[in-house]
Amino acid sequence: MTEVPSELKDTLLERFDRDLKNPVRLIYFTQELECNFCAATHELIDTVAGLSKKISLEVYDFIKDKGKADELGIDKIPAIAVVGEEDYGIRFFGIPSGYEFQTLVEAIVLASGSDNGLPPEAISALNKAVTKPVEIQVFVIPTCPVCPLVGTMGLQFATVNKKVSIKIVEIAEFPHLAVKYEVIGTPKTVINETITFEGLVPPGQFINHIQQASQGSPTGISPTI
Amino acid sequence: MHFETIVDTMSDTQEMYEIAIIGGGVTGLAAAMYAGRMKLKTVIIGFPPGGVIATTDWIENYPGFISISGKELTDKITAHAKEYNIELVMDTVTDISQQNGCFTLQTAFKQYSARTILFATGSQHRKLEVPGADTYEGKGVQFCALCDGPMFAQKTVAVVGGSDSSAKEALILAQWVDHVYLIMRGDRLKAEPVNLDRVEASDKITIIPNTNVTHIEGTNRIEKVLLDKPYQGKTDLAVQGVFIAIGSYPLSDLAKKLGVETNEKGEICINRRSETNLQGVYAAGDVTDTEFKQAITGAGEGVMAVFQAYKYLGGQPVCTCVDTDYLDCPAAPENLRNPPD
Repeated sequence: MTEVPSELKDTLLERFDRDLKNPVRLIYFTQELECNFCAATHELIDTVAGLSKKISLEVYDFIKDKGKADELGIDKIPAIAVVGEEDYGIRFFGIPSGYEFQTLVEAIVLASGSDNGLPPEAISALNKAVTKPVEIQVFVIPTCPVCPLVGTMGLQFATVNKKVSIKIVEIAEFPHLAVKYEVIGTPKTVINETITFEGLVPPGQFINHIQQASQGSPTGISPTI
Repeated sequence: MHFETIVDTMSDTQEMYEIAIIGGGVTGLAAAMYAGRMKLKTVIIGFPPGGVIATTDWIENYPGFISISGKELTDKITAHAKEYNIELVMDTVTDISQQNGCFTLQTAFKQYSARTILFATGSQHRKLEVPGADTYEGKGVQFCALCDGPMFAQKTVAVVGGSDSSAKEALILAQWVDHVYLIMRGDRLKAEPVNLDRVEASDKITIIPNTNVTHIEGTNRIEKVLLDKPYQGKTDLAVQGVFIAIGSYPLSDLAKKLGVETNEKGEICINRRSETNLQGVYAAGDVTDTEFKQAITGAGEGVMAVFQAYKYLGGQPVCTCVDTDYLDCPAAPENLRNPPD
């Protein structure tokens, strides 16, 4: 289901009007064939883009516009790059529906340059923790109520520190990644391909994981059975 | 009723709150809302936001909502609480101490000081202590059907437990999986009648009563559970996932560290006013020794605790936490003011 209920539209209109600071581009990658959720995703973000003049939608073909896809690090579809006045490295793969719709909304608001909501102490800890580029992948499913909490924390980190990027991946649409990263429960987070953790962790613990990944420490890798 | 004198004596980085609520579930949020209405300087520290109930698929017994998801309910209560002047901190308290009648709370990033404390720390899922449960935790042994159910689509799973929560987990899973075995040690499912009816009506759920899971086995993935008595002539049951719903244990370690009295289950002992054995320390919700643990009862206990804290603060002269004359202050505990010889 991709239709946004009218009551939610009203809430979003109010939220975007209040919290969107600068323009945000939703750069969408799709293709006509062999993409189960592309049409639904397109419909969803088209609706979202219609809720504020500060949100624009750009649509690219994953195959025909390969150069653009490569430029933005898009390697699977459907994909959305949420880009504000600068690119914070925020990417969604798969349809951001169900509870994940909330994460998309937070991504748009944060990318607009709105207050990231992190206390100064957390920002300071994050900036100390990040010594090299950090790529956070959060694997989610639309029915998971706690997944947006992890995703939103990752979004906050990405908008605070330019070395941090985040990919939110709807894992049911990419079963090969579920196998590769041994995703059985969600949310599952993988940082720099080395640190993984399952479930929800407080911000301080998340930053500790980022620090370990940034330092290249393998601590925290889930044991392989 | 504001304690400027206290704030004035604190360091710039450490504000003094009149009440610190530990726990961000329904209990803590309801308490925070009332504390805000009573104009108490309030901080609520909790993670995850909304607490455990936020992972519940549907709630049908919270007044005013015929059916609402746990996430939506906690979002609404959070928004309601934020209407008042409270500070909401998404973090966990890692340490707590008391000195001179003031409480200090430590989180990952910051220290908070408060005159009164409300423990609304809730409970955590109890783990199944059988061989294989640790090995496969997060790899087939799961605790949230709503979060992980779709990963088991077209598979066969077991739910271990015989409570209303177990019934709900089985019903959620039945939306995706081929079949659910509900394995319980008791002879009947102790679910709310409405959920019991739903389980019995489902052709995807089979109840296996009077049975314990003794092992969880597999190679790279879970392949079967072993039972302590035969089911259909066999003691092994082929499943690809095991969801644990065998109750929970109270998160009372911080309270114990402070000297708060707990019962043999580790639940904080409270009276009808949500007071603990310590002055200025209150508790409410699933972490307490109350018999019927529901969102609505926890909210009520939390509100009662705030009212008692309000009276306590209003009835006590203000003492500063760093005041050298503290022992002369009438608000200091009796045993500190008149130490034994």
